[in-house]
Amino acid sequence: MRRLVPGREGEIIAGDLREEFETRGGGRFWYWREVLSCLAVRLSPHRLTAPDLRQDLHYAVRVLRRNPGYTLTAMVCLALGIGVNSTVFTMVDELFWEPLQVPQSDRVMVIGRSGEESTCSYRDYQELERRVAAPGGRLFSGLLAYDNVPISLDVEGTSQIVMGEAVSANFADILQLPAQAGRWFRPEDEQPGSDPVAVLSDGAWTRRFGRSMSAIGKRVRIETQWYRVVGIAPPGFLGVSPPHAMEIWIPLTSQPYAKELLANPGERERPRVLVIGRLADGTGMRTAEAALQSVDAQIRREFPRDTASTGALTLAVTAGASMPAVREVATPISIMLLSVTGIVLLIACVNVANLLLSRSAVRRREMAVRQALGASRWRLVRQTLAEGIVLAAGGVALGLFFGLGASRLLARSLPALPHVGMVVLDLNVNWREAIFAAVAGLASAVLFTLSPAIEHSRPDLTSSLKGEGAGGRRLRQRDVYVIVQVALSLTLLIVATLLVRAMQHAQGLDPGFAMDHRLAARIYVSEPEYTEESGKLFLARLLDTVRAAPGVRSATLSYTTPLSFSDSVCTSTTPDVRPRRASSDVVVPGYFDTMAIPILHGRQFAPTDQPGSPPVLIVNQTFAARNWPNEDPLGKTLWLGCDTKEPRTMAQVVGVARDAKYESLDEAPRKFIYRPLAQSWVGFVAVIVETSGAPAEFTAPLRALLHRLDSDLRVYEIETLEQYASQSLWKVRWQATLLAVFGGLAMLLAAVGLYGVVAYSVAQRTREIGVRLAMGAQRTDVLWMVLARGLGLTAVGIGAGLVLSAGVTRLLATLLYGISPLDPVAFGVASLGWMAVAMLASYVPARRAMKVDPVVALRWE
Amino acid sequence: MSDQYLGEFEQLVLLAVVRLSDGAYGVPIRREIEKRTDRKVTVGALYSTLDRLEAKGYVSSWFADPTAERGGRSRRYFRIEPLGTEALALAKDMFDRMWKGVRLA
Repeated sequence: MRRLVPGREGEIIAGDLREEFETRGGGRFWYWREVLSCLAVRLSPHRLTAPDLRQDLHYAVRVLRRNPGYTLTAMVCLALGIGVNSTVFTMVDELFWEPLQVPQSDRVMVIGRSGEESTCSYRDYQELERRVAAPGGRLFSGLLAYDNVPISLDVEGTSQIVMGEAVSANFADILQLPAQAGRWFRPEDEQPGSDPVAVLSDGAWTRRFGRSMSAIGKRVRIETQWYRVVGIAPPGFLGVSPPHAMEIWIPLTSQPYAKELLANPGERERPRVLVIGRLADGTGMRTAEAALQSVDAQIRREFPRDTASTGALTLAVTAGASMPAVREVATPISIMLLSVTGIVLLIACVNVANLLLSRSAVRRREMAVRQALGASRWRLVRQTLAEGIVLAAGGVALGLFFGLGASRLLARSLPALPHVGMVVLDLNVNWREAIFAAVAGLASAVLFTLSPAIEHSRPDLTSSLKGEGAGGRRLRQRDVYVIVQVALSLTLLIVATLLVRAMQHAQGLDPGFAMDHRLAARIYVSEPEYTEESGKLFLARLLDTVRAAPGVRSATLSYTTPLSFSDSVCTSTTPDVRPRRASSDVVVPGYFDTMAIPILHGRQFAPTDQPGSPPVLIVNQTFAARNWPNEDPLGKTLWLGCDTKEPRTMAQVVGVARDAKYESLDEAPRKFIYRPLAQSWVGFVAVIVETSGAPAEFTAPLRALLHRLDSDLRVYEIETLEQYASQSLWKVRWQATLLAVFGGLAMLLAAVGLYGVVAYSVAQRTREIGVRLAMGAQRTDVLWMVLARGLGLTAVGIGAGLVLSAGVTRLLATLLYGISPLDPVAFGVASLGWMAVAMLASYVPARRAMKVDPVVALRWE
Repeated sequence: MSDQYLGEFEQLVLLAVVRLSDGAYGVPIRREIEKRTDRKVTVGALYSTLDRLEAKGYVSSWFADPTAERGGRSRRYFRIEPLGTEALALAKDMFDRMWKGVRLA
């Protein structure tokens, strides 16, 4: 406060506020509003603008209105730059800074553990909550535990995989979030043996129940269990795991696997949860963090365990994506996007600076007259700045408008993210975005008016008053601008081309299995309809039926779907060493035929591999090479199981399969093992079908077929393997799309800049051209003279851009799927593309130069 | 006449200063206006108006000794000047003349 309002006056106001604060206790919000009111008064135009500055602005508006073409060009350039920036900013804002939509979100802390995915186990959470939120030592008004999970949700006959949060019963109390209908969870919902209950999101309620109140009390099915809907979350609340949008909340303890784990008093490590706490009134963040850490250390001393978490607990205000994994993926993308759009804005600013410069040339005389009449240099600079500010204000207004449109367009046209329930851009212009745009606009106004303003302020009076042509210096400055623009936009273009090439290249990579003519349907065969035995029988019948259907070449079952997700198991070569994780899948005999994955040694799974017979598995090349280098893996024994306390199971390697890509096309070779479904039962399987015709056309028949087998069978998404593969490339596709858009925009802006410079030089040299023509120069000579100038500038820019790109693309190496960062094709195509655009941008003014009538040109002076 | 014209908010502030006589400084002035007119007054608006009134010579101000309840900061007291009284009277006359004979519905 004291810094904002200086001097004695600040003292007095601070005193007043202090006095009132004491008596009424207005709260921080009140205080800051009052402080802002002082600032607002100070900054209001009446106080701030000395009459002559107001006059400046007034004059600027008049000048700009008299030149609508110039004004519009400048504003549109700026608006494009500001628009894309605010769009990207919104996205980044949502990922990193947007606070949770709950009351007093600045008191809501996400409690993490440094270096680890989850905070602690559910039991440790209970212990923690008991100690730090107890009425005695009130650090927190409460802690809540949550975990976000993809959930297979069945509502009235339709099955879908959605995101849900499994939470502790105090979830809504701590967030201070009332239900919009019905209720949230109560402590008794957590008791063993209680009826499972669920709360739906506003969106889920709208989509699945048409906002009907009868939804409350309805039963929905999650995995194997039925839940009764007891409430609807308030509109707009999407859970505490942005950028994922939750559709449903259930008590953590209601999940069957959690129930099982919690029933075992010896289990202290699972299930794992994330923790959020609300600070009690008067508790500082650092105090709470220190206290939490000491309580945590205490708990770990009291309940020692083998696989101890080592990180310290950390506290952070919940804002944006709370999960470290999401932030990790989002950070580099955000930095890249912000720098790219920053460059676009820079190019736009340079354009406007160029425009102002050319106007300054036209107005040299006016400026000279004003100076001759006694105007100070500062006065002239201020005049130019005023024009800049008016332009920037228009640019910001238009830009926000553009930004909104661009965001909508982007949200619709961007390739979808592969993650279930990922909110892609919930694009509302918020105040942070508006401030961002205003700051960007102001910064650019200063940027683009600075050099013309200085230029204006020191006209060479004598020659300007005589109305003579421009000096050489200013032209050189404009040339530098164009070169910088070309270089920057070429760099963006090269990066975009590289990413597009990488994407095409990745699509052509050999995944190690056959993708064409294959589709996969995800089904769920579970209790209570099916037991393990009846489930296996059903799946066998299902396979027979599908294989016999017309148009089907082969069919198989697998737990995972290639290139979407994979499971993992712990393995060790002897029963007493520490187990290591390896990716895994559960498949049926014939899987390797349908997927066309060759078995290099040994055999496939056979129908004789049954629960009673010796456990078998098949490993991939990488697994064999890492575990048994230079040995024959066939017949080797592996121990399976992650828990060091429980006995592990043993299985024998009967085959080695060729390496394939499992989760994404760009992954490094990884260890992988296959187990037979008969020996390790899962009911959540993909039916993979090889068709003779186009696989997508088999979607409807397959669905009908599955429905005929069991009309209640839960069938989730049915997609071709090629769709899965292309989804796994989302990251590069996303970046390629965005960069192509921004690179194109940058090129367009730079081309406008180039055009402006060439056109300006033609205008300046009209007399010279007239003289040349009068002296007998050919019109094509003139054409070439002008073209050469434009192309010469472009060539220098391209040279600089190539050098710049060579430095920049190296940073992208990890995204290029093996394409060289110096890929000559990308560099060549982008440069040639720019050259073509430059031709066009210079040809238009060059033609005009060619048509100069020497008589008119000479008389004009 | 025209340069003696008082804005509505200026009148409210002046009247509050008159009403409070010796006790007129920031906090009570604000409270007086808020209490009687039922409208919110921000600190910024209040002081910019008081400064304006002082510049016109309608009020004068002085600084009192610092007090502990204000965190060791002093108060700025205001007092109405003859010019201010005159302006207030003129404003009241003006309104009285306008209201004369007016009957609302």
